Amino acid sequence: MIHGLGPDSAIHEDEALGKAYDARLMRRLMGYLRPYRGLVVLTSLLLLAISLLQLVGPYLTKVAIDTYIVSQDYAGVRNMALLYLGIWCLLAVLQYFQTYLMHRMGQHVIYDLRTQVFQHLQGQSLRFFDRNPVGRLMTRVVNDVEVLDEMFTTGVVTFLGDCFILAGITVAMIWLDWKLALLTLALVPLLVLVSSIYRRKAREAYRRTRLALARLNAYLHENLAGMRTVQAFVRERRNLKTFHGINLTYRDLMLRSIFYNSLFFPAVEIIGALATALVIWYGGGRVVQGLVELGVLVAFLQYLERFFRPIRDLAEKYNIMQSAMASSERLFKILDTQPDLESPAHPVAVSQCRGAVRFDRVWFAYRSGEWVLQDFTLEIEPGERIALVGPTGAGKSTLTNLLCRFYDPQRGRVLIDGVDVRDYDLKDLRRRIGLVIQDVFLFSGDVEANIRLGDTRIGLERVRQAARRVNAHRFIEQLPRGYQEPVAERGATFSAGQRQLISFARVLAIDPQILILDEATSSVDTETEHLIQENLEELLRGRTSIIVAHRLATVQRVDRIIVLRDGAVVEMGSHAELLRRGGLYATLYWYQFKDRAEDLADLAPSGAQGAL
Amino acid sequence: MLDKNLTSLKPYLLRYRWRLLAGILALLFTDACGLVVPWVLKLAIDGISSPRNSASLLHYAGLLMLAVLVQAVFRVGWRNGIFGFSRRVEADLRCDFFQHLQRLSPSFYDRAQTGDLMSRATNDLSAVRELLGMGAMGIVDGVLVVAASVSIMLVIDPRLTLLTMLPLPVITLAVLRLGKLVHERSRETQEQAAALSAMVQESFAGIRVVKAYVQEEAEYREFARLSREYFEKNMALVRVRAIFLPCIALMSAVGVALTLGYGGWRVIAGGMSLGSFVAFLGYLAMLTWPLMALGFVVNLYQRGMASLARINEILAVEPEVRDAPDALGDFTVDGAIEFRNLTFRYSRGAAGPAATATGEAGAPVLRNVTLRIPAGGVVALVGATGSGKSTLVNLVPRLYDPPPGTVFIDGVEVRRIPLTRLRSAIGYVSQEPYLFSDTLAANILFSAPARNGVEPREEAEVAQLSREICALPQGFETLIGERGVNLSGGQKQRVALARALARRPRILILDDAFSSVDTETEEKILRGLRAKLRGCTCLLVSHRVTTLQEADRIVVLEEGRIIEEGTNRELLARRGAYWRLYQKQLLAQGLEDRLRQAPFQAAVDAVPHSSPYRAAPPQERLGTRPSQRQESAP
Repeated sequence: MIHGLGPDSAIHEDEALGKAYDARLMRRLMGYLRPYRGLVVLTSLLLLAISLLQLVGPYLTKVAIDTYIVSQDYAGVRNMALLYLGIWCLLAVLQYFQTYLMHRMGQHVIYDLRTQVFQHLQGQSLRFFDRNPVGRLMTRVVNDVEVLDEMFTTGVVTFLGDCFILAGITVAMIWLDWKLALLTLALVPLLVLVSSIYRRKAREAYRRTRLALARLNAYLHENLAGMRTVQAFVRERRNLKTFHGINLTYRDLMLRSIFYNSLFFPAVEIIGALATALVIWYGGGRVVQGLVELGVLVAFLQYLERFFRPIRDLAEKYNIMQSAMASSERLFKILDTQPDLESPAHPVAVSQCRGAVRFDRVWFAYRSGEWVLQDFTLEIEPGERIALVGPTGAGKSTLTNLLCRFYDPQRGRVLIDGVDVRDYDLKDLRRRIGLVIQDVFLFSGDVEANIRLGDTRIGLERVRQAARRVNAHRFIEQLPRGYQEPVAERGATFSAGQRQLISFARVLAIDPQILILDEATSSVDTETEHLIQENLEELLRGRTSIIVAHRLATVQRVDRIIVLRDGAVVEMGSHAELLRRGGLYATLYWYQFKDRAEDLADLAPSGAQGAL
Repeated sequence: MLDKNLTSLKPYLLRYRWRLLAGILALLFTDACGLVVPWVLKLAIDGISSPRNSASLLHYAGLLMLAVLVQAVFRVGWRNGIFGFSRRVEADLRCDFFQHLQRLSPSFYDRAQTGDLMSRATNDLSAVRELLGMGAMGIVDGVLVVAASVSIMLVIDPRLTLLTMLPLPVITLAVLRLGKLVHERSRETQEQAAALSAMVQESFAGIRVVKAYVQEEAEYREFARLSREYFEKNMALVRVRAIFLPCIALMSAVGVALTLGYGGWRVIAGGMSLGSFVAFLGYLAMLTWPLMALGFVVNLYQRGMASLARINEILAVEPEVRDAPDALGDFTVDGAIEFRNLTFRYSRGAAGPAATATGEAGAPVLRNVTLRIPAGGVVALVGATGSGKSTLVNLVPRLYDPPPGTVFIDGVEVRRIPLTRLRSAIGYVSQEPYLFSDTLAANILFSAPARNGVEPREEAEVAQLSREICALPQGFETLIGERGVNLSGGQKQRVALARALARRPRILILDDAFSSVDTETEEKILRGLRAKLRGCTCLLVSHRVTTLQEADRIVVLEEGRIIEEGTNRELLARRGAYWRLYQKQLLAQGLEDRLRQAPFQAAVDAVPHSSPYRAAPPQERLGTRPSQRQESAP
């Protein structure tokens, strides 16, 4: 909670709201519709057709009344009814296709946007992931994109449809009786005034309720996560009071926005009723005078009702647009973040790799000013096995991170076979390095795919062979589908030991020239530990190996132990040499066993005795 | 249809019953006014078609305005009444939920996931609120408007009404049938969305591995595959959902067509007035929305009940630790602690941290522990991971409940001491303290007696924080949760110590509280604590001999048993487990000191171009403090 962003600020950023309409963002969003121009045109045409057909209904009523009922032509009335039914059947079919195609378009855009954002995020450096908690990135890829779907389907398209309808009704009314039309349309400015007042109020209320909600959730989250502390310090009552206060603030803001909404809807209705009253009074008078037919009046009344409906729904659409703009702003911000670490334009081709590693006067800091490595130099021969040892924060993992080029050093160079890692293609570079960690993470696909990892040159035979060499073959064969057994939920169905064996087989199959073995900081179960020790020799054979040792049991078999402290090499040598020297390594070796006070006497190896 | 879950809402419904009733009443009047409108139109049109009444046109217009104005007032009333009701219930429910969570014991939080609790307190609560607000509105609207419209239509023309009702069963069947399909498919869509989220979460959490194995493309393909599936699921949902509106619209169009045809004929035949004909069309139009709303309510009900069940599930959890019925009314802790033949195991499923480490849930974590600590005594606990040290100290503030008759404070069984009294007297610092995103001062004075505006200088001094805090531009008012300021593990531990001290405890528990603090600082802290803590009982869990030596007595635990107990001197004389630990650490300490004073030039010389070994001890730095190192940055 303390590192990086506090939960509070993160949520506040998420909830910050911009305008309901931003031309710049909108243009960019519309760009995503380009591949689906056909669909866009088709849905728009359908929408136009639907809007027009919907306008026919009241007109048919007018014709039925004025032409046929008045002249007592029953066949005409029946035909009108049939025509009406026919039009609505057509309308239903059109509406179905329009809805379907519109959602199809929206879903396409969402798919494109989502995969684009995912791919873009994947391309970011680890520095980016250090700064941005996974939860927030998930919100981007999942929720923010979803909000845009709503905008594309409900917001934009219905808005378009509403515009068609409003325009169509206006035209129809003017055509039926322009005087009556002008009279009712005179109320439009009033409508505009009411909705603009509402929009201002709603916007402010919406913003404030979102902020209050964010605060509420942040407080809730913090209290749930820290409940033990709250209880141990008997803060329940005070925190409840604070929570109650935040809760009430949110509730009251919500009540206020309910109140604004409750004023807006009736206001629109009243204006609508005013229009209807005008039509009855003025139009009715004209009918009586014989200037207007009765059917026109009835049609007018029906048109009016449809005229006010889209305006009433404005509030909902306004909220959709507002959150869509906020979401797209956040998405575009991510898409505009350039990865700060990329493959060079003209990478050095990898030919025969020997596996020589050299850190050349490297300076590195994760956070500016806090140097982890200062002017660090280290050379590792091809095929050499080294172990990195040292207290937490000494820079062991940092060295492996730089070698894989997860980060770039601020100064100095990291070289493989004499070439700066920055000059290799990132993927070529990483393919030459095998990383084994104890908290194994399996990829989706089957077991075979997890060993081969997408390298098509590796045949099934080689996969089997690799599995055999680390004794993984037997358990894989016993799986219901053997090597084709699907891996679900990142391998949760396998035991930790089985996952580890698969990861070993992976190394042997891919056969990287450089191997990094990162021991877990916390203790793993004894089975896994045992497996590692058993297969270590097989894994290390014939490659440059760097073991990040948190527990020291592994290191006794390496060629050279490098003892790091505060980002500098303080000791170097074999296990026996270092113990004899009685320096930091010897100290760490003792600390290893601080948790097992009772074991100490038994476990102290002979090398250590020599140091006494 | 009524669920027993609903009964849990009863107190809230009762609390706001007048508001709810007023809202429903207002809604009834709103609908009634709405029903008047087509009738006024009928009268107006009838008036127009028989010109002798033409003088009353203004009268009809006025009547219409009046109906709508009254309706507007009631509309404001019902929206505020019903939605206000649902918001109020939501807020109360949320507060009660929070209060309940506060009462649940650590064993609950060992099992529960914060994310899951959060989703219950937010998403599920919203669903319940929608059920109460929109649901109530939908039911009243649906039932009342349909009933009233149909009755009026029956009055206007019974035969036409029955005729137009013909499509109604079809609508209802279609809505129910489609509703089921939509429900099923939207559940599938939700599941696919969850799968997608899980994939994103895992892929980004494991980004280091993904990148190390150059699996970006494979991950992207997998993501694209899941997204594609999500696309398909969404489209499958759209395919059925898109039928909904046109289907209902078509059914109502059938009604309109029937009215046009049959009603038109009736008008021609003189059996029906033109105004009635128009009004009939109006009432028919009014039916469409409530019928749709009813389908919507079914959906709301299903979601709301599922959510209510999830909330009730948590509310039904009884706190394991709570005040006993025979608890003392009042109690002032002095500080003497006694463990009497204590054997403790974590209850099933509620595996404590220690139990998880040993992987033996259910096996006793502490066995026959008997230990007496006088008030003001300082006792250190030492032992391997999983030997039960943390469990033992956790039983004192009753984070977990010990079996009856085993743990006593000042001679009284802890179960009988009021929880707040007990915990208020205890200062507790764990290895991984939880700090709140507030200022340093607020964190330190987290539970201290009110001290208006007084900075906790003294506590900060003891915790060796003063120097670092002074270096911060805003000092004690620095926000620790804000961007840019990071506390190291050691700093967090020291802030937590200051927090424990600020409440002036009678019993101080330091559970490996200095594991991330360097030895030198730790020594200073311990020296300060000695002076500050006169008369305060102190339980100290540590691995470091230098810390252990500070205690009056040292207790060595192994697999939940006390294997050695005595003063530093006694235990050393005994040459047992403690003595072995002491020897090794002393040796290590000696080496460390030598290392500090004389760098191993030989080792360094062997490294080409290596930087000279710097002798400075590792020190924690506050992120914002400019250091000399920063100035030498390239």
